[in-house]
Amino acid sequence: MSALLEVLGVSVTFDGFRAINDLSFSIQPAELRAIIGPNGAGKTTFMDIVTGKTRPDNGRVQFGTPPVDLLRLRESDIAKIGIGRKFQRPTVFEAQTVFDNLSMALKNERSPFAALGYKAGRTDIERIEEIASEIGLAEQLHRLSGELSHGQKQWLEIGMLLAQDPQLLLVDEPAAGMTLGEREHTTDLLVRTAKTRAVIVVEHDMEFVRRLDCPVTVLHEGSVLAEGSLDHVTANPEVIEVYLGR
Amino acid sequence: MKNTFLARHPSVIVFILILAVITLLATVFSEAYGTGLLPTNYVKILGKTLCLCLIAIAMDLVWGYCGILSLGHFAFFGLGGYMIGMWLMYARTEDIVIASMTNAALPPTPDEVRDAIGTQIFGVVGGSDVPLVWTFAHSLPIQLALVVLVPGLLALVFGWLAFRSRVTGVYLSILTQAMTLALSLYLFQNDSGLRGNNGLSGLQNIPGLTDMPQSVLSIWFMWGSALALGVGYVFAAWMVSGKFGNVVKAIRDDEARIRFLGYSVEAYKLFIFTITAVIAAIAGAIYYPQAGIVNPAEIAPIASIYLAVWVAIGGRGRLYGAVIGAALVSLLSSWFTGGQAPDVPLGFYTIKWVDWWQVLLGLSFVLVTLFAPRGIAGMFDRLVRKDAA
Repeated sequence: MSALLEVLGVSVTFDGFRAINDLSFSIQPAELRAIIGPNGAGKTTFMDIVTGKTRPDNGRVQFGTPPVDLLRLRESDIAKIGIGRKFQRPTVFEAQTVFDNLSMALKNERSPFAALGYKAGRTDIERIEEIASEIGLAEQLHRLSGELSHGQKQWLEIGMLLAQDPQLLLVDEPAAGMTLGEREHTTDLLVRTAKTRAVIVVEHDMEFVRRLDCPVTVLHEGSVLAEGSLDHVTANPEVIEVYLGR
Repeated sequence: MKNTFLARHPSVIVFILILAVITLLATVFSEAYGTGLLPTNYVKILGKTLCLCLIAIAMDLVWGYCGILSLGHFAFFGLGGYMIGMWLMYARTEDIVIASMTNAALPPTPDEVRDAIGTQIFGVVGGSDVPLVWTFAHSLPIQLALVVLVPGLLALVFGWLAFRSRVTGVYLSILTQAMTLALSLYLFQNDSGLRGNNGLSGLQNIPGLTDMPQSVLSIWFMWGSALALGVGYVFAAWMVSGKFGNVVKAIRDDEARIRFLGYSVEAYKLFIFTITAVIAAIAGAIYYPQAGIVNPAEIAPIASIYLAVWVAIGGRGRLYGAVIGAALVSLLSSWFTGGQAPDVPLGFYTIKWVDWWQVLLGLSFVLVTLFAPRGIAGMFDRLVRKDAA
């Protein structure tokens, strides 16, 4: 089976600082993968490259079958072909209701004219309600999302990701600021989602990664230091030195 | 569909009712159709104010809802005025020229008529030929189409260039100021073909309706302005009420985030920039026949800044806020600068409002920004909520 996302020999330099250094990475269509690494390892820059926010100096990024060159696409087009991203800080549109947030994310035609003529049909409303109950916000659909708790905002953002119906989800620190119960729920959600699509989770929290029970990629100074199961990489002396040992 | 939309937005109905009541009252007290208590001049001021409210709605859409602080929308307003003004001036001059030639021995040829019109209109800038831009000035339908097309096209091209290069924030504001300044400087030139600093005048005289007194015309134009404002308000409210409005507000609040949801921010910005430019142009095309004259000073950069001040004072992101701000500030402005406001003698110094109005306006802008960032409409909202609670 060919990879869904293939990153080959990518490098990025910011003002002389090598944020990503000859990085190669790939993920299968229905796979859950955790990316860990110390601050400045290039985790966020990696996501920026895949989603089109940052252009690498060299290297290739391909997505889907037949492979599409992501480096030629704009952010909005990358999102449209099936890559969704959840940011580190929950960024939902706080002045709008949970329903409106999900409705904007829902996989639909995205042109201004389509949006002007859009009327939420029965299937769309049902899909939104379904996602809302999945992320535990069924009761909050008509509240302003700015009024939600931190954890609920995180979920709303995951819900928005699901509504986009992407083939690949990039999830940046989903468990930050969540209570233990909320974390468990989030883990379940991610594991279930990864049954049908690829999910990349960037996380600091080892406990959370352990619960995901999936292959781990360790980044360090912009390239892959180790790859394998969590036990395998945590046994790696280099990983212990740069990351776990501190 | 319209019924359900209006049912979901009762404030739109309230607005239309208030607008209708004001227009009816003005008609009842007018010189032409009523008791004559309201002089024609005031009817014209009311009509013009309604047009300013319409462009304020356009400004609110582009700035209050989409977060693009355009400081150039008055250029579109002025261009709309120019486009309709060309027909008004040409057709009226044509009538006059033909009337004056009827006593000649031979009937005038079309060329003679055209030459005479050229001399009449452009003598003031030392020309006698009708310039190329006046090619369609004889035709009302074409000039009406140009009211929409010329500013719309300018906005489309300008917006495409600016948004494609991801010019945002204060840089975009500066760019729009440069656009309106450049346009105004160009129009100031005598060889621009639009009579330089003289602008187009005598626009209050409608060709074909020369027998109709201004008192009657002013009422008709006021009703036209009210209709345009009403339609514009409903249209704007409909636009921002659905998913389009949600995306536009999302662009205002977090442009990068909505981009990652797969929306082309540039396309939306271009769409709303262009459509509001067209609304502004239509407002201008109704405004200037009531004002009687349009000249390049009208689209000086300061005019567009005033527009932003009206919307800020009235309340951004609320359509009725924009209307309140535009009406209140523009009416106060003409009261203070028109010499009606009594001077305030302080003994050692006399406050003359003609000079001090600007200071007062600037001060209130600062105060509103500091203490009521949501403007008058925001204070109004807070009062209503308190009552409800």
